Amino acid sequence: MAFTPRGPEASFFEVLDQHRASLLAALRRGGKEPAGSGMRLASSSEVLSSIEKIIQDIVTSLARNEAPAFTIDNRSSWENIKFEDSVGLHMVSHCTTRKIKSDSPKSVKNFALILKIFSMIYKLVQSNTYATKRDIYYTDSQLFGNQTVVDNIINDISCMLKVPRRSLHILSTSKGLIAGDLKYLEEDGTKVNCTRATAVAVPSNIQGIQNLVTDAKFLLIVEKDATFQRLLDDNFCNKMSPCIMVTGKGVPDLNTRLLVKKLWDTFHIPVFTLVDADPHGIEIMCIYKYGSMAMSFEAHNLTVPAIRWLGLLPSDIKRLNIPKCTLIPLTKRDQMKLDSILKRPYITCQPFWRKEMEIMADSKMKAEIQALTFLSSDYLSRVYLPNKLKFGGWI
Amino acid sequence: MEGPAVAVCEILKYLIIHQRCETAGVSKGALLEGQLVISIEALNSKHQANTLHCVTTIAAAGSIYGGLVLKKFLKDMQSILPGFFANLNWTSEEASHSQDASGLRSFQVIFEADVNPRTLMTDSLVIKNFLRKVISVLPKIRFNFSVKVNGILSTEIFGTPKFDATELPCSRIHPVLGHPVMLFIPDDVVGVGLLGELTLTPAVALCPCPKVFSNQLNRISSISIFLYGPSGLPLMFPNSEQPTTAVFKDTSYFIDGKKCRLCMVPSLDLSLDRGSVLPDVSYQVESGEGEEQSQNMDPQGQTLLLFLFVDFHRGFPVQKMELWGVHTLLSTHLSAILRESHSVVQDCIQATVDWALEQHHQAVKAHQKLQASLSVAVNSIMSIMTGSTNSSFRNTCLQTLQAADTQEFGTKLHKSFHEVTQHRFLYHCSHEVKQQLLPEKNEAEQNTEETHENSSLELLAVIRVDTVALPGFGYYSVEYWAVESAPGCRHPLHLHGRYGGGTGEQTENKRLKRGSQAVEETRAFRSAGALSPSEAASRRAEPTTAPLTSSRSRTDPGSGLEDTLWLQEISNLSEWLSSGPGP
Repeated sequence: MAFTPRGPEASFFEVLDQHRASLLAALRRGGKEPAGSGMRLASSSEVLSSIEKIIQDIVTSLARNEAPAFTIDNRSSWENIKFEDSVGLHMVSHCTTRKIKSDSPKSVKNFALILKIFSMIYKLVQSNTYATKRDIYYTDSQLFGNQTVVDNIINDISCMLKVPRRSLHILSTSKGLIAGDLKYLEEDGTKVNCTRATAVAVPSNIQGIQNLVTDAKFLLIVEKDATFQRLLDDNFCNKMSPCIMVTGKGVPDLNTRLLVKKLWDTFHIPVFTLVDADPHGIEIMCIYKYGSMAMSFEAHNLTVPAIRWLGLLPSDIKRLNIPKCTLIPLTKRDQMKLDSILKRPYITCQPFWRKEMEIMADSKMKAEIQALTFLSSDYLSRVYLPNKLKFGGWI
Repeated sequence: MEGPAVAVCEILKYLIIHQRCETAGVSKGALLEGQLVISIEALNSKHQANTLHCVTTIAAAGSIYGGLVLKKFLKDMQSILPGFFANLNWTSEEASHSQDASGLRSFQVIFEADVNPRTLMTDSLVIKNFLRKVISVLPKIRFNFSVKVNGILSTEIFGTPKFDATELPCSRIHPVLGHPVMLFIPDDVVGVGLLGELTLTPAVALCPCPKVFSNQLNRISSISIFLYGPSGLPLMFPNSEQPTTAVFKDTSYFIDGKKCRLCMVPSLDLSLDRGSVLPDVSYQVESGEGEEQSQNMDPQGQTLLLFLFVDFHRGFPVQKMELWGVHTLLSTHLSAILRESHSVVQDCIQATVDWALEQHHQAVKAHQKLQASLSVAVNSIMSIMTGSTNSSFRNTCLQTLQAADTQEFGTKLHKSFHEVTQHRFLYHCSHEVKQQLLPEKNEAEQNTEETHENSSLELLAVIRVDTVALPGFGYYSVEYWAVESAPGCRHPLHLHGRYGGGTGEQTENKRLKRGSQAVEETRAFRSAGALSPSEAASRRAEPTTAPLTSSRSRTDPGSGLEDTLWLQEISNLSEWLSSGPGP
């Protein structure tokens, strides 16, 4: 049976509406998206031509008795990444590169694997079929060695051709879930209604979904699946209707990020994150908001700088008198990650985030969202989140 | 009657030892240079049937002569070759010093003997073998050897190798130098009166370079051992002490065959008449029982070359006759000395062989990895090319490689990739040497620093093994640079090898042409090779620089790339030899 939403009164969303208004005003002030660094969806013929051009260059090198080489942007080098408040982390236009040579014993294998994946992409695009990165790995797992090799090469190719991965007909496996007030049409015509009681898997073809419809007042990104399921069980989407909930089940996959980006671009509704009060959770939040180093070349398609941190804030721990027995000491790894985040360029323009992180660093303690269950089993969905949303408890 | 071979070899040895002693302490690190002409003119004897009257002339020019006193020479020869000396006629009035037009003093000695034709033929081969071994160590000495029998002349020049434009991607071998070990002298040999130490330093190389055949799992099909004494001169054994009859018959003496999985049997192919240098000891390696030859096994296999350098050290410069005495001692008692020192010698050689085989194994793996990668690259390009519906793209690709069709395109693509990558392998073959020299630097420097004040570097020689015949691979020569430190230094030797190759068939076509003054081009496989690993830094402590250029300048200019790589290696070696802590 379809789910019938029964949300709070309209006055409940006053602060949210004001927030949305300010976001829209900021968008208007900021103008259109910066040009030049975004990746556009390339047509199949464009992708095929690009690959053919690369092959021609290789053959020409060989004809000149020169060893062919690929020139690859250093995607994961901080020197090639800059921060812009409106975009997040993205690659600079003239970045440093490295050569993958065919005549070097160290890089010849990588050179060959890049060509191998080029040939597979060529076939996929030509036949208009799709494959996931995992599929590609399993075509010859012995040759590739491990999934990371395949993932890196695919990203390098995407960066090289300046097209999103989708244009290469390579999909990432979706692991995210959606729930709430959202309907859309998938590329193959399937109608999806996320208002059902159970969550819907994030589709693998985000670019292809159409006719998105929602009345949601906000989008809540939940870090963990456990918390997401708990909220579902507590009928949160109904109680806070109209709203949308998304989870990437930890570090989000590309499709989940693309979906969040698409929802923001389409509806410009406030986006909040609900993460654990620990460095890992904060990092996940930063990935949604500012992007990752590895995918910085596609930042314009993936980041939502408008995201706000709803909870669990380190300051909430003290404010709510969360029992100390529920807290966990920061490990050495946590400390290192926290220090690393504090040094990142985007934190400088987030003084409140910085302050929260400093509270965490000083206390040397972290807390999971589940710590709120020590206050009451449904504290999260009944008290914490509604209060936060009603009174603007986000930073 | 005994032929001229023994006398020729002994005289040449005498001249070289003399030169070494004269130059030691004067020009450190300088390679011996000069030209020696050996000619044998034989005519049918008027007095005896089936006998040739041979007049042998040995003439020396250049610094090889410097300081030689004729009277002393003749007196020494009388003691060195007593039996021979008494039986031959020395044309003493023609033994003279003369000065050639260039102003260099020259030296000439002539002696006569009656020999039967078979003896002369055998002796000629013995002399050639000796010369080939000598020039392996002393490349700056050139030998011009001619034999004229009843007017038919054949001449051969040793020391100016010419190289074929081989098809081999790497015309080098990469010798691995082992640690020198002190040899123990048995009690019954001590009485000779040696006042010093004998050390043995092994050098191991695989021939041809593993990279040549790295697409196959090369097996070791034979082992060749070359024995050298002080001053880099090959050891010559009297018949009673033939290496094959003594300790060398024990195939397990040098190398633990089981450990290396090599089933060795002494080789019976001891023929000198094959236009190549004959190793002192040779083993064939047979497949072990139950071992199946995989499809990838190269049926011809590789040869493991083992060079053993026995040297003599003491606290002060060694005299000529002492060195001569050591040679004599080694020639007659080497087996006993090696038996006495079996444990240390075997450990030393085994370690060096293990390292060389490990290098070989790594090289094979690296090359296999390269081949596999190139195969993937080619197949990927072919997949795109053949699957493309863009005729313009396909035609452009075909035209670029000048291929008529897709099949030819694939072949040319494969070949092109090989060519561009093999070039890098040549580079790597030469430059991996430098990296191999870096380990053990600190340890070696410490040792050499301690002994530096009392030691001096003396260049042993440049070793060049000329025309080693390798079944199926033809004729190769190896060039090595060897630098010996004086007594007290722990690690005396550098080795630096390179080779070039040719096929036996080709060499056959260029053999001596009787009736003309054709010069056989010795197909050196000249390897500018790898300086041995692990030992270099220890030698680097000494400031002496090896003169390394002149022999290379005589090389065949046909291979410009080899020249460049060779000169690069030479200059590198000079730097290493000259660098290091000062006194």
